[in-house]
Amino acid sequence: MKTEAICLLNILLFSAFISEAPRNGQQTEGLFEQPLLITSAGQNAEVQIAAVLAKRAGLNYTLSKQATAAELQNIKTLVLVLGASLKGLGAAGLDMEKEKERVMALIAEAHQTGISLLCLHLGGEARRGPQTDELIAEVLPRAKMLIVVRSGNTDGFFTRLCQSQAIPLIEVEKTADAQAPLEKAFK
Amino acid sequence: MVVAAHPLAVEVGLEMLRRGGNAVDSAIATAAALNAAEPFASGIGGGGFMIIHLARLNRTTVINFREKAPGLATPGMFEDKGEAKEEWRTSSGLAVAVPGALAGWDLALRRYGTRTLAQVLAGAIAIAEHGFSVSSTFSSINKDEYERLLKNLPEGSCYLNEGLPYEPGDRFRNPELAQTFRRIAANGIKEFYEGDTGHRLVAAVRAKGGILTNDDLALYQAVELEPLKGTYKGYVILTAPPPASGGLHLVQFLNIIERWPVQTWGHNSVAFVHHLSEALRFIFADRERYLADPDYVSVPVEWLVSKEYAAGVASRIRDDRPLERYPFGEYKPGNRDSANTTHLCVLDGDGNIVALTQSINDFFGAGIVPEGTGFLLNDHMADFADDPESINAPRPGHRPLSSMGPLLLFRDGKPLLALGSPGGTRIFSSLAQIVLNVLEFGMSLDEAIEAPRFFSFSSGGKPGPIAVEARFPPEVISGLREIGQEVEVREAYDKYFGGAQGIMILRGRGVVHGGADSRRDGVGGGY
Repeated sequence: MKTEAICLLNILLFSAFISEAPRNGQQTEGLFEQPLLITSAGQNAEVQIAAVLAKRAGLNYTLSKQATAAELQNIKTLVLVLGASLKGLGAAGLDMEKEKERVMALIAEAHQTGISLLCLHLGGEARRGPQTDELIAEVLPRAKMLIVVRSGNTDGFFTRLCQSQAIPLIEVEKTADAQAPLEKAFK
Repeated sequence: MVVAAHPLAVEVGLEMLRRGGNAVDSAIATAAALNAAEPFASGIGGGGFMIIHLARLNRTTVINFREKAPGLATPGMFEDKGEAKEEWRTSSGLAVAVPGALAGWDLALRRYGTRTLAQVLAGAIAIAEHGFSVSSTFSSINKDEYERLLKNLPEGSCYLNEGLPYEPGDRFRNPELAQTFRRIAANGIKEFYEGDTGHRLVAAVRAKGGILTNDDLALYQAVELEPLKGTYKGYVILTAPPPASGGLHLVQFLNIIERWPVQTWGHNSVAFVHHLSEALRFIFADRERYLADPDYVSVPVEWLVSKEYAAGVASRIRDDRPLERYPFGEYKPGNRDSANTTHLCVLDGDGNIVALTQSINDFFGAGIVPEGTGFLLNDHMADFADDPESINAPRPGHRPLSSMGPLLLFRDGKPLLALGSPGGTRIFSSLAQIVLNVLEFGMSLDEAIEAPRFFSFSSGGKPGPIAVEARFPPEVISGLREIGQEVEVREAYDKYFGGAQGIMILRGRGVVHGGADSRRDGVGGGY
């Protein structure tokens, strides 16, 4: 019984290590500076989860679901939580085109002012689809790193995008597991 | 046979039937089990409607257990909150109407059941205690509502997993709900309406800015009503009357459609979707003009469901393009258009049938759980109108207008179909499409439920877009756009359009079919 327990512990530890390791062996720690602005790309509900993870990680963050370029003042890192939600877009009075405009303007301003971009995809398979994928394909190439919940990358969509742009990718098993790499990503 | 939105609830309902309970016993056992297994959609913190067919008596009746506004409610209670009114309507103590579910279950059991409340709660207690593996539906809804839940739930609540939404496969247990059901089983519904559980409920509501009192709870009563009757090409529809609007609108809708050659047009063809969408736009104007709680407001039901009225509407709809204006109505599409609510159907060996729709309104209701009770409170005060001048404005003791529409469809005097769905204001449109899929397009019940759906509405006299599931053929979408319809493409199987459950009884073939919606976790079971 004890041996089984130790084996199980080893497997769990190994899984945790594997799940956090970047796929292409690139640098994923200390890449970003604080403070950070968290917003969504697609008005998804996971943006709130990202804020809770940032809080638990002790990061100096601001959450703004519909952030504009003006909110990037004094910000060092822009965190975009990827995933389109029709419900969220409706609640915000936005459609996909307007949301894309907002996000791209934000990214352009960040690029111009030397603010780094970190992307998260925390919604798993449920937060994939043509609209989300189209948005991600535009946004992700501008990112410095991506953290993704594995069930959202079962088709290798994020892997292919990140490999083609040499963007470090960290896959985690569950949403809560994203906290550790998020914390380590910041100086 | 039992069909419901969670397999564990179906199993509880079936077990009740196996042990000799009738359809009413089984339906209430299933309804309670859904509180444990699908707690985000319904439960004792909410209310609903059920339609019961008693085979031996050939009699059909309706139990109205819709929530009521507290005695201190006023027409302007939300308007006074200014820009924050939406928040108050849905995520605060003011959002909570007096729950009716337990009173309704109890009334049905006492009049038409054969088991005690304690007996029918046993299955729910077991599910709440032992827990279950969270589905992707549960997980995605938990994530969608996370912000509201963070606001209202206490630390350590079972509705979050260590403060974060549940992932598919996580274990969900609710021992506090099991304890609440045990207290109710021991003390009867007085435990809820006058006892310790009720006092906790009132305290929780008032702590979040609500106005509900112990007297409001003690005075609550579920009531029995005559069903609303409609017909479609010789089939008879019996459904819940106002303050449920779903059944009435379904009858209106089918009356209009009856005049059109829908088989010639073809299922989900451009002509079919165009004409039905136009009809929906007229019906939504009626909804805001005429419908409210008939205990206090005179609702012109007979006129609205008359064939003459339908003929008038049908004559105004153009074949070739949408109208520019529709009758003015105050309907506002919610910006929180989730498919909340749940529906179940039960058929027993004697031919008794129950179709029951129940809800706590938005998924996870107001997000408020009375301390130590494990159940979520509704936000059904949000179903009252914004406008203090509206006939459906909140007033003491009024029941808010509901979109529910549990129904039974009869052929030659015998039940053919039991049906219902969640889906907010999409309910009647979705139910009508399922009925047409069966009656006009010859689909099996399951095919009829799974077929792609669409929806439209009007607001302030202007047309809303036609929302279609992504499975609609591109040529139909482009065809609709070519004739001037705005089309909004949603997900392929979108919860927005509901999650219907039904039972079809094919007497000639001695076959019973269950149909459950894959837009949610619906399943059916029989023996």
